[in-house]
Amino acid sequence: MNIQDFIENFASQFDETELEEFTPETHFKQLDEWSSLTALSIIAMVDDEYDVIIKGNDIINSDTIQDLYDVVERQQK
Amino acid sequence: MSQLTINNVRIAGMSACVPSTVEDNLTLPIYKDQNDALKVIASTGIERHHKVDPGTTASDLTVKAVEALLSDMGWQPEEVDCLAYVCTSRDFIAPQTACVLQDRLKLRNDCCVFDLPFGCSGWVYGMSIVGSLMSHGTFKRAILVAAETNTLNRSQLDTAVRPLFGDAATATALAFDPEHARPMNFVYGVDGSGYQAVWAPFGGVRNPVTTEALQQQEVSPGSYRRGVDMIVNGMDVFGFAIKRPPQSLKELIATFNIDVETVDLLLLHQANKFIDEKIRKAIKMPPEKTPYCLEEYGNVTSASIPLTMVTRCREKLSGDDKHCIACGFGVGLAWASMEFYAGNVKVSEVITY
Repeated sequence: MNIQDFIENFASQFDETELEEFTPETHFKQLDEWSSLTALSIIAMVDDEYDVIIKGNDIINSDTIQDLYDVVERQQK
Repeated sequence: MSQLTINNVRIAGMSACVPSTVEDNLTLPIYKDQNDALKVIASTGIERHHKVDPGTTASDLTVKAVEALLSDMGWQPEEVDCLAYVCTSRDFIAPQTACVLQDRLKLRNDCCVFDLPFGCSGWVYGMSIVGSLMSHGTFKRAILVAAETNTLNRSQLDTAVRPLFGDAATATALAFDPEHARPMNFVYGVDGSGYQAVWAPFGGVRNPVTTEALQQQEVSPGSYRRGVDMIVNGMDVFGFAIKRPPQSLKELIATFNIDVETVDLLLLHQANKFIDEKIRKAIKMPPEKTPYCLEEYGNVTSASIPLTMVTRCREKLSGDDKHCIACGFGVGLAWASMEFYAGNVKVSEVITY
């Protein structure tokens, strides 16, 4: 897996936020559009794309997209 | 793998009772505007739920459901050999609610009755437990109740749970029938490491009720619950529900060599539409074979599958045998899947309390 694809998959769970706003350093929970429902979409996306089930705490403890990417990458191994 | 096959038992009748009070998600006072409500409705598929009035319990709904079932089927209360009560919102800490129900329903004093405190997986577990008892051949008629008052054991100030959960009671009549050539097949699953995904921390003997456990605590901005209320960790439940139920159904299909093409009905615990649709697609079941009642009743835990059958499959189930597969999943974490055939089932009209 690579971070660029992950960011695109991550961004596609949002309806209104522009793709340019997503970088590895984006603090995703501070985005206006972020909600508990977005969190569920992210969990579903990670399951579909990477065959990993992340926990609520993985999202709670991640600040940036890179943080979450690292969690998924670790669990894939 | 724990698997089970039960012979000579069939579903003879079904009924359901829901409270008359309806709460619409669109007008719930917990949202800052209707857009928020619409988003929740769009992603969960849940538009409204029925809610008991103060003083009404799951066993009150149950009495109505069972009385209708007995009357529509022409069964006398004294002909019932076994009653199982699947419910987590029990009337009292002691005794079991099933004991009180024996008297209220005028069942025999030598009837076999018991509670099964399961949540969302409860109807499937209950079918396997009551079905097993009946398969010995001495119990001829049994009733499996799956009932819950989620609005009583969950905080109505918890914005994450209030829109999703409703109240209902269902009754399923089972008959011993050596002519019924179709087995019921089951597979089971449990992961106790996830017990805190859905749980009520206070009120049992590990964490007894304290005055503090009865105080409302703000758990997220604008959302409150007490220590005795049920916590639903949405993200963990979601992660569990998109993984385990599809696995369980695939296990069922492989273990019992089920030809998915021949399945008429996929009956899922009504968690939410987003989750259930993922499960449906994972086993490639077409939408027209996958009925839902969550838009009208919300998640009614163990009553979800039988309520779907009563409200959405009445005509189908009253005809010739339908090939069904079902999956219940939730608190525990526990899940179970089953295969069965149901036909000529006497399905009562839904009753309101």
